[in-house]
Amino acid sequence: MNPQNMPDLIRILPEVVLTITGVLIMLFDAALPATNNRRSLGWLGAVGVTAALWSSLIQLNLPPGTAFYRTVQTDPFSVFFHVLICGIVLASILLSLDALPANQHHRGEYFALMVLGAVGMCLMTSAVELLVVFIALEISSISTYILAGFRKHTGTGPEAAIKYFLLGSFATGFLLYGVALTFGATGTTQINDIAAHIPAASSQLVLAAFALLMVGVLFKVSAAPFHVWTPDVYQGAPSPVVALMSTAPKAAAFALLIRLLYSSFPVLQPVWQPMLWIVAVLSMTVGNLAALRQKNVKRMLAYSSIAHAGYLLAAFAGLGINAIASASFYVAAYAAMNVGIFAVLSIAAGPDEKLSVIEDFRGFLFRAPLLGTLLIFFLASLIGIPFTAGFFGKFYSFATAIHGGAVWLGIIGLLNSGVAAAYYLGFAVKVAQPPAAGSAKLPAPELGVAVGLSLALATTATLVLGIAPTRFLSAAQSGATSFLPPVISDSVKPSTDVPDLSKVRWVR
Amino acid sequence: MSIWLFLLFSILKVAVVTAIFLGGVAYTVLLERKVVGRIQNRWGPSRVGPFGLWQPMVDGLKLFLKEDFIPAGVYRPLYLTAPLIALGCSLLSIAVVPFGSQDITVHGVKVFELADLNIGLLVLLGVTSMSIYGIALAGWSSNNKYSLLGSLRSSAQMISYELALGLSLVGVVLRTGSFSLADIVKAQSAHGALSWNILGGGQIIAFLIYITAAYAETNRAPFDLPEAETELVAGYHTEYSSMKFAMFFMAEYGNMITVSCVATLLFFGGWNSPFGHLFPEPQNIVIQALLALFWFIIKVFFFLFLYIWVRGTLPRFRYDQLMGFGWRYLLPIAMLNIVGTSLVLSALMANS
Amino acid sequence: MNSQSSQIQYIWQYLPLLLQVLAAFGLGIGMVVASWFIGRHRNTKTKLEVYECGIEAVGDARGRFSVRFYMVAMLFILFDVEVVFMMPWAVIYRQLPKITGSQWFGFWEMIVYLGFIAVALFYIVKKGILDWSTDKGDL
Repeated sequence: MNPQNMPDLIRILPEVVLTITGVLIMLFDAALPATNNRRSLGWLGAVGVTAALWSSLIQLNLPPGTAFYRTVQTDPFSVFFHVLICGIVLASILLSLDALPANQHHRGEYFALMVLGAVGMCLMTSAVELLVVFIALEISSISTYILAGFRKHTGTGPEAAIKYFLLGSFATGFLLYGVALTFGATGTTQINDIAAHIPAASSQLVLAAFALLMVGVLFKVSAAPFHVWTPDVYQGAPSPVVALMSTAPKAAAFALLIRLLYSSFPVLQPVWQPMLWIVAVLSMTVGNLAALRQKNVKRMLAYSSIAHAGYLLAAFAGLGINAIASASFYVAAYAAMNVGIFAVLSIAAGPDEKLSVIEDFRGFLFRAPLLGTLLIFFLASLIGIPFTAGFFGKFYSFATAIHGGAVWLGIIGLLNSGVAAAYYLGFAVKVAQPPAAGSAKLPAPELGVAVGLSLALATTATLVLGIAPTRFLSAAQSGATSFLPPVISDSVKPSTDVPDLSKVRWVR
Repeated sequence: MSIWLFLLFSILKVAVVTAIFLGGVAYTVLLERKVVGRIQNRWGPSRVGPFGLWQPMVDGLKLFLKEDFIPAGVYRPLYLTAPLIALGCSLLSIAVVPFGSQDITVHGVKVFELADLNIGLLVLLGVTSMSIYGIALAGWSSNNKYSLLGSLRSSAQMISYELALGLSLVGVVLRTGSFSLADIVKAQSAHGALSWNILGGGQIIAFLIYITAAYAETNRAPFDLPEAETELVAGYHTEYSSMKFAMFFMAEYGNMITVSCVATLLFFGGWNSPFGHLFPEPQNIVIQALLALFWFIIKVFFFLFLYIWVRGTLPRFRYDQLMGFGWRYLLPIAMLNIVGTSLVLSALMANS
Repeated sequence: MNSQSSQIQYIWQYLPLLLQVLAAFGLGIGMVVASWFIGRHRNTKTKLEVYECGIEAVGDARGRFSVRFYMVAMLFILFDVEVVFMMPWAVIYRQLPKITGSQWFGFWEMIVYLGFIAVALFYIVKKGILDWSTDKGDL
């Protein structure tokens, strides 16, 4: 390999590190005797993911730019999401180290799949070529399909995996068809180049391509019309896996969404902005109303994650940097608290997930004071109580929406948060209630080192994002600025009628 | 040249080649029976005609006139298509094989090749892998447990060895830089046998892999598990009678001929003389053509004889050994061969 | 392609292939149909039964069979795709130094690729997917 390729390699260094880690885990897993404990492989994975996290920070030293024939692009935006995804995967691996059942089938592959899935997710955030995006999406999806079915001796595990697989590949098909149509309409699949070719392209074809792409991406973020898989999959998948797949693939998909919207299809903003408003309102409302009626904790959280996707999409009502920054910030905040809550749930319910319905958690605070406090803390964050990550996430998102001229969207969001508070609080109250008289005494769950680290990571992130968000927000903003030419800033007032196309076309 | 002339020549060539090919199939059967007979210390067919030369014709006629019945439990559409696919793929694969000097043309049409494609090797690979369908469908549609077992074994075996087969060809393609079989032969024409791929090309490992994998691909001994008579009656064609059975039979021997042709083309210099330019070339173009054809046929005959020799000598593999051999030994060795070949090529290119 | 045949468009070179397809399958169909009409047909119930060495067939033959065959089929698809990817690389290998501007780039690329394949092969062998004689495979 000649030296002039080295910067190219550095631009995909996190992916390289993750790939090597995943392959090493696979190799060691195959080479170790079957009776051997696979814990060390989990630690290897954790170390590898940490290394990937650092190596993505190294990329900040490079000027933003592309590599490998303009297929990947590293900029502060991609680094932000790389760090986020690596953090999530790190927390999930640490969590899995203690929360998986001791007789977990294919334990080694489990960690390998997590790390290899992270490769796909990371690549999705830095890819600027739709075909590479597709490959990255497949890498991450296939890993999560398999991970979803890891409790294969339960009824719900394989059901989750099959449902996720069938619907997911169907949605990916839409995405791929969108890529094909994009190529047909514009003659390119380079995300940054598409915008320049749109004015010359057939508008129907561009619209069709865009719509198909959106179906694929919105499925991955489980936004409202494409959300039906979420509850079943979350219920059947092991809790540590849900901690991963409710956050990391979504973060990657949101990154892709932002790239598509602001790099490829800025011209279509008059089309996609109302569409995203509708999707946002639908997601919030459907998610929250359905969550109200759930008895199962994981189903409830699944519907709440749909609602959170809705809150996040509300940010796209804003224009320019603020939308990107607040959306990125929301993804980070949501990831922190969701990983946290699923970490607590995994530990609380044990490897066999004995505690599944809300009623089971009655008196949990008394049984395990520390975990109970954390659970209530994460619930508070999900509600959006100040001094937690959820508050600032929602605050920025709705503020951007209102600032962008969609006051009614902000109001609907606030109303929805009220509805959401009802079921979160119901759960929190149940946790804080004294145990029912005569109920069997359950032992307090054990806290291992690994899971302690994982919980500490999630809690710290939630607290820091809630108390001192400026640092992260500025990181998100620098991500956003790297994304757009500096001409477009906050000061451009969005108009309610159709914007002047020549002004909106931000071509990088 | 007009397209109609081209069409006419093509039809002529197709007719002649198919006729010769089928004749070759018939006499390969006779050759096998004779040679295996001698190996087993008996005479083989000797009653019909001089040296039993009419035997394959009479056998063919007999099979043709036999009662053709379809058992009750079969799934008819697939049961009827399966032998067609088998024979069709077998006959089709000869279409891209050049079997004589490419310089000989009549009105710009090459005499000794049906279709002059620049992706000949890929077509060959594709068509041979299609023939798995014939066997798999025959076994499944027959509704016979022996057939099913035979076809399953056969499919698994064929797809396993196809990997090694495909990888062994990569080395040859690396050396030539072309998929065209004629080009591959041309690349071996410089110094007689010394520049053949098996010697000068350094592809002897690839050749051994190819020939092993090809034996498994054609379901021939020592890899003839699909029709292991002692275990599976007749394997996938247990339920076939009359001409449909004959078609499987013809397909198998046709595949043998194709494999021999391809081995000749890829590794043994095709129609090139092993002596290179040691002897002066004859001036007459007809003699040149016949000489090229002669070398080609001699080499193909050698490979056919090798087939029969192996069949008469080696015992059958056990199934787990068969699969293990293909995946654990042939595949990695083929990969190493690619690494070695490309390494040497790069080193040579760096020096030059 | 020599200069003489260049008068004909390249696509027409596939015409003989098409003719051969017609000939091959036409011959097959012809043989089956002709022998169907020439041969006698005298069917009896016993004759139409499944031939399993004279023992009466039990049940249907299209039942479940060993999962190993599926595993082999899946592995075949993975590794066959690998072979397919290697083919274009092999064809263009001699031009790669000129295209990439580096003497060894093409070689190292394929080493990395083959390395991953080798890891996969090692993995499936170690997992016992290819152990047909024992049941220790981690299926």
